[in-house]
Amino acid sequence: MEPRLDAWGVYVHVPFCPRRCTYCDFAIAVGKSAEERERYVQAVLGEWQTEKLPAGEPLAVYLGGGTPSMLSPAQVEQILQAIRLRSGGLGVEVTLEVNPETVDPERLRGFRRAGVTRISIGAQALQDHHLAAMHRGHRAADVALTVTWARAAGFDSISVDAIYGWPGQTLGEWQETVRGIVAINPDHLSLYQLQVEPATALSRMMKAQILQPVDLDLTADMADWAESYLIAEGYDRYEISSYARPGHSGQLNRLYWTMNAYVAVGMGAHSFNGTRRWWNVRAFPEYLARISAGHDPEDGAESLPREAQMREYAWLGLRTVQGFSRSRFYDRFGQDPIEAFLPVWLNLNQNGLLAWNTDRIWLQPRGLDLANQVMAALIDAAVMPPVSPLASSLRRANLER
Amino acid sequence: MDPRHIRNFSIIAHIDHGKSTLADRILERTGTVAARDMAPQLLDSMDLERERGITIKAQAVRLTWTYEGQEYELNLIDTPGHVDFTYEVSRALAACEGALLVVDAAQGVEAQTLANLYLALEHDLTIIPVINKIDLPNAEVERVREELIEVGVDGIEALAVSAKKGIGIDEVLAAVVTRVPPPRGPRDAPLRALVFDSRFDSYKGVLVFVRVMDGGVGVGDKIRFMSTGKEFEVSEVGVFRPELTPISALEAGEVGYVAAAIKTVEETRVGDTITKAANPARESLPGYRPAQPMVFSGLYPVESSDYGRLREALEKLKLNDAALVFEPETSAALGFGFRAGFLGLLHLEVVQERLEREYGLTLITTAPNVVYEVHLVGGQILRVDNPSLMPVAGDILSILEPVVESSIITPAEYIGQVMELAQERRGDYQGLTYLDPKRAMLNYRLPLGEIMFDFFDQLKSRTHGYASFDYQPSGMAAAALVKMDILLNGEPVDALSTIVHRDRAYAKGKALAAKLKELIPRQMFEVPIQAAIGSKVIARETVRAMRKDVLAKCYGGDITRKRKLLEKQKEGKRRMKSVGSVEIPQEAFMAILRVEDV
Repeated sequence: MEPRLDAWGVYVHVPFCPRRCTYCDFAIAVGKSAEERERYVQAVLGEWQTEKLPAGEPLAVYLGGGTPSMLSPAQVEQILQAIRLRSGGLGVEVTLEVNPETVDPERLRGFRRAGVTRISIGAQALQDHHLAAMHRGHRAADVALTVTWARAAGFDSISVDAIYGWPGQTLGEWQETVRGIVAINPDHLSLYQLQVEPATALSRMMKAQILQPVDLDLTADMADWAESYLIAEGYDRYEISSYARPGHSGQLNRLYWTMNAYVAVGMGAHSFNGTRRWWNVRAFPEYLARISAGHDPEDGAESLPREAQMREYAWLGLRTVQGFSRSRFYDRFGQDPIEAFLPVWLNLNQNGLLAWNTDRIWLQPRGLDLANQVMAALIDAAVMPPVSPLASSLRRANLER
Repeated sequence: MDPRHIRNFSIIAHIDHGKSTLADRILERTGTVAARDMAPQLLDSMDLERERGITIKAQAVRLTWTYEGQEYELNLIDTPGHVDFTYEVSRALAACEGALLVVDAAQGVEAQTLANLYLALEHDLTIIPVINKIDLPNAEVERVREELIEVGVDGIEALAVSAKKGIGIDEVLAAVVTRVPPPRGPRDAPLRALVFDSRFDSYKGVLVFVRVMDGGVGVGDKIRFMSTGKEFEVSEVGVFRPELTPISALEAGEVGYVAAAIKTVEETRVGDTITKAANPARESLPGYRPAQPMVFSGLYPVESSDYGRLREALEKLKLNDAALVFEPETSAALGFGFRAGFLGLLHLEVVQERLEREYGLTLITTAPNVVYEVHLVGGQILRVDNPSLMPVAGDILSILEPVVESSIITPAEYIGQVMELAQERRGDYQGLTYLDPKRAMLNYRLPLGEIMFDFFDQLKSRTHGYASFDYQPSGMAAAALVKMDILLNGEPVDALSTIVHRDRAYAKGKALAAKLKELIPRQMFEVPIQAAIGSKVIARETVRAMRKDVLAKCYGGDITRKRKLLEKQKEGKRRMKSVGSVEIPQEAFMAILRVEDV
């Protein structure tokens, strides 16, 4: 069910975008020339060559952005080739994020030939006025077209992203968006509640009251409606904001929730090796300059002590609807997570947010709705000291009764 | 120095009329402080004072000035510039023979000008009117002269000055020398020194700021505080230049400080008289009264484990603030804390800010209230400084609240608006006087509880910033008051109880419940908010249960960002107080202050 403890993934950050969306505060680079894009690809390849890799082939590769579909198929092929050469393979899934305005049938066929198996399309909404307000570069009609072309190009798996809780968005429009996406039959959907990040054009527009804040109940209605609709349409909600047809859950994202290692390259990319997280500089010129000078692009790092790892494992694991396995946690940390955070679990359970059985700990429906409350309870929870095996098994027996 | 060559004076003014700037110029001109060492508004030494542009504590500086070949010792005693500290102002004035009355050349006479003027006249001070800011393009020196005459000051004699540009400063100093009378008082009589302020110094103990009226005091003298009978041995006497400068003795007519290994300022009450233990004066100087807190508020640590730190911090502040009183208090909602008494709302804010800033405490401050005198059916009289402790209505014969006599100066065209505001605040009209055809003074008797919070803001906004306001306490008066309780989730929250006027209880209850609904975030369950008088619910609102609280996926494996968001959320929770199962943000306890006028 969960990946092996030693499974790992590769993330490549491709920062290019034709324009910045109003809600976006990611590490991106707008208005770069073809020549600059090529220099960046070479820098990423350079960084990849110096990365220390875990043993074996990666489970999955993900090209995220930015807008990775602004690269040429040849550049994508070059990157994938380099990954394959050093790690022996590309795993079960190679995802490329796509914005509809950057592709045509020819380019999509090129990406497929380069080794991409799955594409993730940023649709966001199916109303042109909302797309314009988001400063997206495509129109609603482009989404279906992109999916049709992608199917024709032979992709195994297609995912579509959409945003709810957009200022001015009605429940009817949201239903139209979700229905419209389901009508083109993607294998996977990611539905994101809009988050207004500071220092974005969106937050300025909200402050200036050009856009009105969104009613929390309406947003909740949107989420609830989408959940029941998608389940009825045969999608499985496997993670808080992700829905998939059987066998189509996103593999790289799953590695995040199980606290597996991932090697990430590119500007602003975050890597994790099981105990240490580190991240690269976020600015385009600085990233290029560091790589070309032969310097490490790392901008910051943190080492997680065992207890911090345990806490993080727990709250990340709870993002998936099936929760996480107690025995896998035990294999990794040598302690039963129920025992480690017993007071937290009891409290959450009393509030109807969380449940567990002999092997799994998971969020109940109310817990999925209030996941932040659960996670906030875990991020600074005290780790109980391990008790003797006998006492532990007795207590476990009691708890499970 | 020969008393004939000593002058003791103050500067009094309405806020922003340029008192501190004039003081700065005088310090500079007399060479007391080199221009390059001048921090703007040097006399305001606390950071808070400088930030807020007001003087909280009085200071005294000795200046030397030569006039017509004779050297003079000028003692400038600065006065607090806020109505919370009227009593302190009166003691500082009692230490002087003269006062510079500073009036802004563009603004003219204002309410605080008058209040300070009358205070100075009560102490028989010689008034030197100073029309300041004559460099302003809209200065109207002649009009201000006439206004001064109207209020009983010799406007013709007024000096025209620009403290900012340094115009007329020598004339001011000359007037201090020639117009302010020298101090009188026998140097051979038993010591009587007026305490007009004090400050805690960690090396010397409390520095008592005194004006010696009779006799003299020197190192080694055994002194006695006449109100408490406490005795200390003088370890140092000195003057401020403005840094501490020890001298051998202070004689009648002089101003300076006395240090005597005194541990807290509480033992050195402003207005008290110091005499010598060996040869005591028969009578103390007139006018002493103990500091009287007017406003009370509960102070509670958000983290109950900070209770000990809060007590220590309050004790430390108390070392330097005799007017601050506090005693332990327990709230069912907030746990262990203190009920503290303050001279006024500004004093409360200053203390609260210092506790948070200097001592790193996170506090819940309950809405301030006045003290009520409650006459019980059995004839007993209670002082109630905490609304939640108000006895049940059936036991109460009457409730008295503190009232003030106020004067409001306003351009004539806003008289209607001012009267309307005063009526809304249960004001009792006392009179109307025209200062000139365009400006009038309104006198009202007002409940202190009605003017504590936003009265001045309201006054300013309704008169487009033109009105000025001052008041002084004027005893207690009966009113139809009732206690209003707030229930969250069916449980009364004692810290949210308030005393309101019966006629406005419904409107207030409704407004307060609505405000609380706005301030209390959604919780995991629905939270009913009720306002009640006795057992009768007069208003109800509901904070609906939180439906969703989720973060989108983490982008590109950036777990740290997600964790930071969760930590921020957690931090926000920490700043809230759990009462029963409801988490209440700090500001909700002050909600009553934010209820719009009803």
